[in-house]
Amino acid sequence: MPNNFALGNGKPWSRRQLLKLGLAGAGVTGAAGLWQMLNLQSKSIVKVPPFEMSAADDATNPMKMVRDFDYGTVKQENGRTIREFQLTAGTSIINLNSAVSYNIWDLNGRIPGPTLRAKQGDRIRVLFLNKAGHSHSLHFHGVHPAEMDGVRPISNGSATIYEFDAEPYGVHLYHCHIAPVTRHIAKGLYGMFIIDPPTPRPPADEMVLVMGGYDVNDDSHNDYYAFNGLPHYYMHNPIRIYKNQLIRLYVLNIIEYDPAVTFHLHANFFDVYRNGMSMTPSEKTDVITMGVAERHILEFAFRYPGKYMFHPHQDAIAENGCMGQFEVLAQSSAQNTVKKS
Amino acid sequence: MIKVRYICLTAAAALIVTLSSCSGTPTAENPSAPVASPQATEAVSNNNHSSHGGKEKININTAILSELDKFEAKLGIPALSNKIQASRPYGSSEDLVTKKVITQEQFDQIKDQVSVQEVVLTGEAKDVDYMSKLGLMKGHLLVAQELLDQNQPKQAEPHIGHPVEEIYVDVEDQLNERKVKEFKTTLVSLQDLVKSSPKNSKVKTNFTSSVQAVDSAIAALPADQRSKPGFVLQVINELLDSANSEYGAAIANGKITAPIEYQDSRGFVVYANELYKGISSQVAQADPEAHKAIDTSFAELIKVWPAAIPPAKAVKTTSDVTKLVKTIEENSQKVVDKSNTQAQR
Repeated sequence: MPNNFALGNGKPWSRRQLLKLGLAGAGVTGAAGLWQMLNLQSKSIVKVPPFEMSAADDATNPMKMVRDFDYGTVKQENGRTIREFQLTAGTSIINLNSAVSYNIWDLNGRIPGPTLRAKQGDRIRVLFLNKAGHSHSLHFHGVHPAEMDGVRPISNGSATIYEFDAEPYGVHLYHCHIAPVTRHIAKGLYGMFIIDPPTPRPPADEMVLVMGGYDVNDDSHNDYYAFNGLPHYYMHNPIRIYKNQLIRLYVLNIIEYDPAVTFHLHANFFDVYRNGMSMTPSEKTDVITMGVAERHILEFAFRYPGKYMFHPHQDAIAENGCMGQFEVLAQSSAQNTVKKS
Repeated sequence: MIKVRYICLTAAAALIVTLSSCSGTPTAENPSAPVASPQATEAVSNNNHSSHGGKEKININTAILSELDKFEAKLGIPALSNKIQASRPYGSSEDLVTKKVITQEQFDQIKDQVSVQEVVLTGEAKDVDYMSKLGLMKGHLLVAQELLDQNQPKQAEPHIGHPVEEIYVDVEDQLNERKVKEFKTTLVSLQDLVKSSPKNSKVKTNFTSSVQAVDSAIAALPADQRSKPGFVLQVINELLDSANSEYGAAIANGKITAPIEYQDSRGFVVYANELYKGISSQVAQADPEAHKAIDTSFAELIKVWPAAIPPAKAVKTTSDVTKLVKTIEENSQKVVDKSNTQAQR
């Protein structure tokens, strides 16, 4: 995928710059992301504030992760589009707070793993390399043949190929399926897998929020929780959005050990597209209950500037790290917007 | 990695590739569609005709170093085996060229022997794979035993579980082939017991029978093979590679924060060391220098795990452990290479 952030050096990037880079990068990666970029350009205006990426752990960079999509490398084989992804399981250390370091299993050096994104009907090829000691695997949600179900252990040091068609469209996920699955997931082997519908969704400022838990003493109870890997991160570094801009959240609950959590947004209501598998919302609410591995698309826009919290309404879980804020900015100069060309 | 059932799966997967590439609609199924894609042909011919004089293929995604040595020898590129390993994963054989591991000319010389499909292992590679997996089981059980002896059933439990959860399914077919009695039931019932009734006197007897089951599975390999340095060293290095990764997963800021991974790596290193003791005099004779390097590295390595319950502070850093493991690997490779050349003569 085009690495929009490699040249950043902490300098904020506008959506226009990102788009330019994305288009330039498309030459390298074939049509990766191109259809989406063109789609955004041709339809209307998406306003994304410049965002700073403050220093975080190597394996966790929530400000980057929130708007980061991996479109893979696109190849043409036998007249079909193959979207190839590479995922390597490794180990790393993250600092859950100033006092607690924790060993995780990472995918491509990050937690959660990359947000993989494809279009319905693409052929997906995932090259998975295990360098994380134990046997691991990648199990994708979606529809595919049994032999591609990713429950067979891939031993340390070896690689395997998962290949299947991207169907049906929706917000899916992938995770390691080696027992005890609770531990293999809770230590970091998971990520979101988005399959876009044939007719693209309307333009929006799109974001990924993955809710995860950390059981630091292996007692099957979570001690910390986080959005996109790092406890309390978005509380201290609010996600900046613009007033009246359509926001599309892809939300996944992958908190093990707690049966369900809710997702609650302050001072607003959101449209719910359950599992992302429809183009029309099923309900409007400000709290939605999500069991483990449930994920939805939530859409909303804020009418008033200011800071607004989002969190599970199991407040103990929020207080232990699963807490964040949107900072709604009033309309700004056109410099940071993408205009209809 | 030897899995008869995956032959059918690979063929089926290949068929799906073919089907979906023939028509734009994946629903238009035709079970009698001819197998046409290059991938499908490779998979089928590899699995069905490998005994008919067809060249044996090596899966570059899963092969161990000594298997990759065949390419290293053929192309005469020093350390090529390590390079191939380091550039994993490969989406296709041609990735050896696109990932700049070798040139197109070099690839052309070996392309008939390279695969990314599930390859049915044969010969020594198959035995190394089998014994390595059982060796990992041994390591888990060794450390579980220690923890049970120290009255720590809670800590022992995952190490009884891991052999089943992570490894057993991968050797299941081989156990049948080698006529080894299944022992999944034994392992699972031991795990149940340790989990729910750790004080039960049956724990001891079940544990003994579990260890015996793994031992007799290892004993299915001929005794002379199990004492051959070139063979055993390959197993040792597989174990150490896992131990190294597990150790890396156990330490944060100089402290052991994940006891399970520390214990896993302890079990693997202890068993690898045990295996080395069995062949050390032969290695000393064949290659005194390599023996010295391996022996001193093992002595250093074993100190990293003073007991099953982790020390407050890590004895060595992860990079120091990696260095020791690499030293053993490099020196083993010399011995393995030597024994391979001798075998070919």
